[in-house]
Amino acid sequence: MGRVDRITDEHPMNEQKPKILVLATESCAYPGADYVGQIHASYPSNTYILRVPAPVIFPEAFYLRCFEKGIAGIIVMACGHECPYEGAYDRLARRVAVVRTRMRELGMDPQRLRLCSICTVCARPFLKEIHEMDAFLSQATTGSVTT
Amino acid sequence: MTETKRRVGVYVCHCGGNISDVIDVQKVVDGVANIEDVVVARREMFMCSDPGQNLIAEDIAAHNLDRVVVAACSPSLHEATFRGTLKRSGLNPYLYEHVNIREQASWCHKDDPEGGTRKATRLVAAGIAKARNLVPLDPVRVPVTRAVAVVGGGIAGLRSAIDLAKSSFEVHVIERAADLGGHLARPGRVYPTDEPAQDLLTGLLAQARSLPGLTLHTETELVASTGYLGNFRLTLQGPSGEPRELTVGSIVLATGFEHYQPSLGELGFGMSDRVVTLPDFIERLDPRGPTGGQIVKDGKPVQRVVFIHCVGSRQLEGVHVPPEGGRLYEHCSRVCCTTALFASIELARKFPQVDIFDVYQDIRTYGRGQEDIYEAAARAGVTFFRVAGDAPPTVEIDASGAITVRLVDLLTFNEPIEMPVDLVVLVTGMIPRDITPLIEMFKLPRSPDGFLQEVHPKLRPVEVCVDGLFIAGACQAPMDVAEAAASASAASAKAACLLGGDVISLDPFVASIQAELCDGCGLCLAECVYVKALTRAEGETVPVVNTALCKGCGMCAAVCPHEAITVRGWEIKQYDAMVDAIVATGGHP
Repeated sequence: MGRVDRITDEHPMNEQKPKILVLATESCAYPGADYVGQIHASYPSNTYILRVPAPVIFPEAFYLRCFEKGIAGIIVMACGHECPYEGAYDRLARRVAVVRTRMRELGMDPQRLRLCSICTVCARPFLKEIHEMDAFLSQATTGSVTT
Repeated sequence: MTETKRRVGVYVCHCGGNISDVIDVQKVVDGVANIEDVVVARREMFMCSDPGQNLIAEDIAAHNLDRVVVAACSPSLHEATFRGTLKRSGLNPYLYEHVNIREQASWCHKDDPEGGTRKATRLVAAGIAKARNLVPLDPVRVPVTRAVAVVGGGIAGLRSAIDLAKSSFEVHVIERAADLGGHLARPGRVYPTDEPAQDLLTGLLAQARSLPGLTLHTETELVASTGYLGNFRLTLQGPSGEPRELTVGSIVLATGFEHYQPSLGELGFGMSDRVVTLPDFIERLDPRGPTGGQIVKDGKPVQRVVFIHCVGSRQLEGVHVPPEGGRLYEHCSRVCCTTALFASIELARKFPQVDIFDVYQDIRTYGRGQEDIYEAAARAGVTFFRVAGDAPPTVEIDASGAITVRLVDLLTFNEPIEMPVDLVVLVTGMIPRDITPLIEMFKLPRSPDGFLQEVHPKLRPVEVCVDGLFIAGACQAPMDVAEAAASASAASAKAACLLGGDVISLDPFVASIQAELCDGCGLCLAECVYVKALTRAEGETVPVVNTALCKGCGMCAAVCPHEAITVRGWEIKQYDAMVDAIVATGGHP
């Protein structure tokens, strides 16, 4: 893996808040997140949104790798029944369920991985998901994940 | 996995102050400047401006950059801009990575500038990590069908269809009703030209019918669509009942609007035939209309007419009551102020004895020459009363049928006014038409007011998020005839640009197989749902991707045990690299 450990952050140890990774679909949730910004609604800054055409692309192992690397929570923000790819949402939902089962087996709280549908103007549901995950992670003593 | 040396240029945009008012952009630049492979890292007031883009071009030449990262607004606005900058500078446009630090950082972390800056730094680092893993890609080129379907045969649809047919495109106008013209087919005159709407329509139709390649399908509905930009396969349901297939390269939606219909009893509506909506009143003013141009009460010309503005527009919760299962229309329909004033001038001209009253919240004669219409109405003797939005006038009809309008007039410092009138004209607004089947068919976004939403009013007008689809006229927002025609011409110009060549370039983000990693297990073949997108010839081990049919969903990539099949531009290893950057322990190797 390429070395990415040279980010010079003025407050390197400042960011103690658990990091939330958001995998947002290009046609629904990502523009939805843009919309939240456009209306200047605010949410915690420990959220990192990555754009993806369809999160069905991620194999089970990808999620586990993210947790292993130190991501505290993952929210998969999909298009739900508005998914532009035939059958992709059902497969994604099944895969997320498999990952959650695996997390349980590994002693991890499966609530650290959530799947939801966010539309292009779903500001309220977007904020709810972020705040709920943030509140959950702040409460939970997630500790470091060793798998 | 990228041990090849890259030469990355990183640019952080201030966006005026949109980004830099919250995020310390210098800190972001300093934070990523030392990441491996970063050759230059800069900040600039407006990256999308010519100076901003030139900066990238100059750095590419001077520093031999081979990857570029810009951190700015949402990629929906400027990703294509900067891909173009790379292309013009001789670099493959897909060696570009866009990082969103405006919509998804500065605008949503105003109360936490430090956190926002930290987040932006990490997002840029993630962008750099992805950029280091990017490879040159070539767009997928597919042949296009030089034909356009225009849904809706009103002013916008006809204007669009005529423009396109004149540019030698095959055009199909699909109109649900038996007659063309939509609202324009009704009697009445239109501003600013003061001509009968029907004459305007007759002219347009004559032009449309004279153009070779333009087909008008009436009593026809678009019921299904498959395919994509350049090749949409449409199913039409015509009067014969037999479904018909049609292939087009692009689609213009010109589905129009509805007039707001007041509910029974709303300002006396439905309680007297002398409480009418503005569109009905305009029809009555026309000699070709239902009353032959006469406005009468008990067989005698009316003496006192009141126009009440903002009926079904600018509605307020707690003041207005939505119909059962309906909604409030909070938007301003814009057009109705001028339309009402224009009608009142015509009324005064035809019937000089009539007293005309105009009850408004704000006069919004916003367009070119429209203020003149307002002044002309005042000169014609219209008496104005101004009411507050939360104190609309009331209309009372007694047993004898006499109508009384009551209001509190702000122009005379809250004087209560009570006036008997012969006719009430409700200046009704424009509301979105119910086009649910089309919205579901194309997954179209709507604005909060229910009208169709373009991607960006200035950067990508009349475009929607579906490539190859454009919106024209009042399906997008309340518009007058002139505005609808302008927007229709814009949509047809965009469609013409798209279909101008023989082939169209699609994003290259489709599946790709690294043959040396594939063991022929076939899991990807079993996973793919698209017909012929992924195939394997008999006797072969490695499947083949049909780049024109693959949608790039990545279902195949998720099940490949060897990561032999990936989606170009969205590879798992790129995501892994981005996550590594996000979790990296800053300054602590």
